[in-house]
Amino acid sequence: MATQSQAPPSDENPPKPGLTQAATENHTQAATENQQDVQADAPKQSSPTSVFVNSEPMREEQVQNAVKFLSHPKVRGSPVVYRRSFLEKKGLTKEEIDEAFRRVPDPPPTVQTGGGNQADGLKTSQGMQTQSPVQPLQPAAAAPTNAISPVAPRYRFHWSHAVLAVGLLAASGAGTAVIIKNAIIPRLKSWIRKVVSEEENDSVKKTDSQPSLAEEAAAAAKAAAAAAADVAKASQEMMNSKNEEKRYFGELMNMLNVQVQEMKSMSNSIQKLEGETNALRRNSLIDQDDHQFNVINSKRPYANGKADYDSRSVRSASPPAAAEPSVAPHPKSYMEIMAMVQRGEKPPNVREINDSPPNPNQQLSNPRLAPRAKPWEVGQAQNYSSQVTQSQASSEGVYSNVQDNGINYSSNGDSSVPWWQRRNPRITEIENEDEFKSGSYSTQTTEVPVRRAWVPPQPPPVQMAEAAEAIRRPKPSVQKESSDDDQLEASSAGVTDELQRVTKVSESGGAVEINGGSSGLSSSEIQEAKDEIYG
Amino acid sequence: MPVFKTPFNGYSVKFSPFYEHRLAVATSQNFGILGNGRLHVLDLSPSPSPQPISQLTSFDTADGVYDLAWSESHDSLLVAAVADGSVKLYDLALPPTSNPIRSLHEHSREVQSADYNPVRRDSFLTSSWDDTVKLWTTDRPASVRTFKEHAYCVYSAVWNPRHADVFASASGDCTLRVWDVREPGSTMIIAAHESEILSCDWNKYDDCSIATASVDKSIKVWDVRNFRVPVSVLNGHGYAVRKVKFSPHRRSLMVSCSYDMTVCLWDYMVEDALVGRYDHHTEFAVGVDMSVLVEGLLASTGWDELVYVWQHGTDPRAP
Repeated sequence: MATQSQAPPSDENPPKPGLTQAATENHTQAATENQQDVQADAPKQSSPTSVFVNSEPMREEQVQNAVKFLSHPKVRGSPVVYRRSFLEKKGLTKEEIDEAFRRVPDPPPTVQTGGGNQADGLKTSQGMQTQSPVQPLQPAAAAPTNAISPVAPRYRFHWSHAVLAVGLLAASGAGTAVIIKNAIIPRLKSWIRKVVSEEENDSVKKTDSQPSLAEEAAAAAKAAAAAAADVAKASQEMMNSKNEEKRYFGELMNMLNVQVQEMKSMSNSIQKLEGETNALRRNSLIDQDDHQFNVINSKRPYANGKADYDSRSVRSASPPAAAEPSVAPHPKSYMEIMAMVQRGEKPPNVREINDSPPNPNQQLSNPRLAPRAKPWEVGQAQNYSSQVTQSQASSEGVYSNVQDNGINYSSNGDSSVPWWQRRNPRITEIENEDEFKSGSYSTQTTEVPVRRAWVPPQPPPVQMAEAAEAIRRPKPSVQKESSDDDQLEASSAGVTDELQRVTKVSESGGAVEINGGSSGLSSSEIQEAKDEIYG
Repeated sequence: MPVFKTPFNGYSVKFSPFYEHRLAVATSQNFGILGNGRLHVLDLSPSPSPQPISQLTSFDTADGVYDLAWSESHDSLLVAAVADGSVKLYDLALPPTSNPIRSLHEHSREVQSADYNPVRRDSFLTSSWDDTVKLWTTDRPASVRTFKEHAYCVYSAVWNPRHADVFASASGDCTLRVWDVREPGSTMIIAAHESEILSCDWNKYDDCSIATASVDKSIKVWDVRNFRVPVSVLNGHGYAVRKVKFSPHRRSLMVSCSYDMTVCLWDYMVEDALVGRYDHHTEFAVGVDMSVLVEGLLASTGWDELVYVWQHGTDPRAP
């Protein structure tokens, strides 16, 4: 197209590469329009519903959190749809969720396999054959270990780590014991010697030096012993604290499990008590096995804040009851009927009604009125044009009607105004202004003068007509560009005539199949132009 | 202002897109727990003297009717969402003995909502407690497509007022999904609330704005272009918000009804968003609608078996 548009100017003007397009007005307009349309075309084809699609890039952090969540053993036991639902509620996009699901089947191997081995080892060998120095600790820790086995991988890691540490400590303890032995003996000996030497106090200097040596040795030994004792004490304390921590952790896990159980049972009892389960009534009629989750068989459209489905979602810690929105008080008769249904009784006033169609192939009657344009569609020129052509037929000009009525009312006119249409006429006018102004959101601002007054659309929207032309028939439009203004005007008139014809056809026909999804009265070309331009 | 007493508990009310004076009400016996249903078509008479609201016709159903939708192409066609999982079509132009003209039974659980496509005018959506949304056309006996992605009941599915193929669905799994019928799955998932979302609606004048109403008593307005943070959070209802609807005439005006028995009007662009509050119902207010043809005309229905029609700014209970 660009080359074609450049060809004619080259005949008329000296070809300037940069300014060829700016040379002749007609050709530039057409050329730029073409280029714009082509550019508009390209993004349109790549993302036709750009606004209603999530265009954010994938957030790695969210994906990793999701992977961690999905790797959790408790999560792995839940149905896939609830895992997805949980992630969606956390605000992840489809792509992020799919990516997380992709990643989960190959988890970090060390955790899983190591945990698996440890689990097997400890579970099967109740005699604790693994580490001998830690035998006394194992039986005590075996019970919590087995109870907390779901959290196995990390815990086992921790456990073996602790076992190794304890072994090291024991070894060092043994070593210090040896050192202590070695230290005590010289200490004792030196002490005895010291005592003996004190008794032989008036003897030779050697005896003084020896006791001094012995004393020094004794002091050193004492210090070493003290240090070793400290070390042993510290290691003992560490071991104790580690054991305590393990115990606490086990207790904590137990308590958490107990709490979860309590919450589950609480929510169970709440449901039963309040009897707000609407679907319980349905269960009496329809099959009860629609949903696998055992806790709640009911669906609650009137849940009023009872986020009870949390208990069947993967989140194990349901929000506390205090934080839930309050439940609206149901009418007394509602509770009576619920109770009746739960008992299995049918309320007395229910009749057997046959509401099946007498003739399933019954033809629809012909519509007597043509569809009206919506108030928010006033902003489209085609609709307006069709509106005006149809205004007599179906009293479509709502604003004009209401305005007239309002004015009548204000002037204490006749009572032919329906009571539901009485309104402040001042508001009417202001609103009409607003509507027209807001209606001109489209980028083709040249349409505004066309909408405001029903003027034969020949002169103003020249560009628009060309755009429509260009979209509909790219090549002929290019050829038309080479012609002069008269031809363009004629063609634009032809376009609008076609528009009128098309709209009239659509009116009379009713449901005319027009491609490209438009309001039933508009022409497809303009609609496509609009769609391309603003997506 | 007229009041209409229905024999059963009201569930949904919708104005006709063709006649300013016509509306339809979906009702269910015994609060919709277990019982029959009835679909009323009411006419507003021009002068209030004999009877401001009169019933044109009504249709009985074996199970409760939870929602209805007026056809956008046929002035006499109605779609009813029935609690036994069926979708029934009624033609007012035909004699009552010929109705319903269709009963489409594909949902496996209660059908909670029905919405007609305002752009294409040939198709409608139904959403159900079986976690799916189904797309239908009036000429086919079977659904065109089934959208199954939600993890819980889908309480509402609403077409975009400008884009013929885009719709949004609100579910008890606390997410709002935006779909495009040309795509195989949802195109957007918005984790809108921490509790179930009972209703959603598109802004008629801003095709990227959606409002969601939830059990957490709040209404949030979202922009799909920036869906992590809501544009606005509207608090003020005392209990779960059952339905929200954007005004067909004003850009930022919306109406909502709630289990706190009130109908509230909101303007979410304004600092003090609550612009109107009507507490005419004496039971849960469950259905509300704003007329497309008459600006400011509101209708609401509730479990107190009453249908009110009034102009914004007037007292619904005034005689």
